[in-house]
Amino acid sequence: MRKSYVNNTIKINEFDALIKITAEMSRYLYPYIREILKSKEDLEENSVIWNDFNKRFIELIKERFNIDSMKVKKLLNRADNDEIIIKYLLTLSLCISNQGYQKLKNFLYYF
Amino acid sequence: MQNKLSFHQSSVSLEIIGLPDYSNNENKDQISIISQWKLTIINKPLIEGKIEHLGPIMNAFYIYSNLLIKNEIPLYESKLIDIKADNLHIHNIVLKSTKPNVKPLILKIGNSLLSDTINCFDQLNESPKVIIKKTDLSNNMTKKFRFGLNKKFKFLNFIMPPFIAICSLILFSSSFIYFYNPFENIEKKELINSE
Repeated sequence: MRKSYVNNTIKINEFDALIKITAEMSRYLYPYIREILKSKEDLEENSVIWNDFNKRFIELIKERFNIDSMKVKKLLNRADNDEIIIKYLLTLSLCISNQGYQKLKNFLYYF
Repeated sequence: MQNKLSFHQSSVSLEIIGLPDYSNNENKDQISIISQWKLTIINKPLIEGKIEHLGPIMNAFYIYSNLLIKNEIPLYESKLIDIKADNLHIHNIVLKSTKPNVKPLILKIGNSLLSDTINCFDQLNESPKVIIKKTDLSNNMTKKFRFGLNKKFKFLNFIMPPFIAICSLILFSSSFIYFYNPFENIEKKELINSE
């Protein structure tokens, strides 16, 4: 999915390290993640936060991902990507405990 | 004097009240005999109960959040608590009282409050000061859920051996048909007789 000319397969220890970093980052960013989730619950009052996040998310995807891929195209479609983004944010927000790394790993293996 | 421990996460706080088990040489600031717990969600009614209610409620939240993330039907039903998704952002919680003539408490919470609540439960699970017996948590899977799993498992166990046996019997017996030709045998007998 990434825009890369090198097709490297990720090693298991690198995968673990990435999950650890993600779990730590989600703990650090929990207040922001929570606010974004909350803004989507009540769009009439807080639509600015959600719209800004969605806009930046799409910008980053366009910049770093292979936009010819069908999966990436789905992420770029503003009408369809709401559910996917909410699932991602909710997953991250549930993995902020000390056991968050293990929880996130379990969720990722399921995906 | 009872011990009181609180776990906070943004708009949700969980309070655990109880005593240490001195017979187990526990410290005086620990809690392993929980007498009461309170779950406070800002702008929502207070949820409180005894230890036997805490396990099922925690399990309900964990199972429901797993269903949500794993793209399965987000619905959890039990004697004590029902949780279902109204839509992508709102979750409907029905808490049924064990006391007679008490109406169920209905709460609507968003994803933010759901994650706050689960994070409070995570803090409780990870706290070294509160000891919750494993049996309190693991035995609280809904009867419906457990039954469903058992039924599926038992049904497969029951049906698979005879099914395999019948299939293999048909397969073997059909292959033996090629070795035995009744008409050929009759012809041979006739030949012998004519001689």
